[in-house]
Amino acid sequence: MAYFVLFLGIGFVLAALAVASNPSPYYGVVGLVFGSIVGCGWLVSLGASFVSLVLFMVYLGGMLVVFVYSVSLAADPFPQAWGDRHVMGYVVGLGLVVGLGLALGGLEIKFGVETIDSVGLFFVRLDFSGVAMLYSCGVGMFLVAGWGLLLTLFVVLELVRGLSRGAIRAV
Amino acid sequence: MSLSHLSFYPAFTLSNLGLAFHRTHLISTLLCLESIMLSIYIALPIWSVENQTSSPTLITILIVAFSACEAGTGLTTLVASTGTHGSDHLHNLNLLQC
Repeated sequence: MAYFVLFLGIGFVLAALAVASNPSPYYGVVGLVFGSIVGCGWLVSLGASFVSLVLFMVYLGGMLVVFVYSVSLAADPFPQAWGDRHVMGYVVGLGLVVGLGLALGGLEIKFGVETIDSVGLFFVRLDFSGVAMLYSCGVGMFLVAGWGLLLTLFVVLELVRGLSRGAIRAV
Repeated sequence: MSLSHLSFYPAFTLSNLGLAFHRTHLISTLLCLESIMLSIYIALPIWSVENQTSSPTLITILIVAFSACEAGTGLTTLVASTGTHGSDHLHNLNLLQC
């Protein structure tokens, strides 16, 4: 089981490597989706099942779907693939940077991490109770976040307005 | 570096480096921004578990909300660039010539 968690952790780093060195946005989005799935599995292994489900549904099911069809708007008809020399240079170079950082920083793998089961008198798990505090202690930030989301809607509407009133207009 | 930190420190560093390098498309930069946000999202429950406190998970939900705003604005810039120049290539954004 510990080796499966290690595999998920390495998979997350490989997914970030795939996004950073993408030959084409199609492959970058594949790396991001794979990183989300592996990150969800990693969070479940910690015991944080609620934030893992939030990641799946809100991030993977909402935001990444929007990214995937925006990539279809924006990417090349004949993309480069993973085997090109330019792309493999990026992959090897970024991997070497990470390896150098780990070698300089000290690499001692300690297995075993605490989980977030209820301890003592509390019967609610850690992540459930933390998110529930958004509505009790953090109600100010909750309202600010809601207001910011509504504001973003109007920002988006203004940015795509044409006829010299939007963004990146040459007319 | 403990095992749990090993999964998100390299991922965060790689995403930042991917954001910094020269690219052809604007959306590759946006994908690296999303990857930065994802690595921070994975990192916050680790902090919550290690310190046995519950409030970093609150910050996690707020991060998702504001990252949705940022992703929407970035994609809107992409659509505006495609509407004006026909593509999202970064050499189209050439007003600042230095």
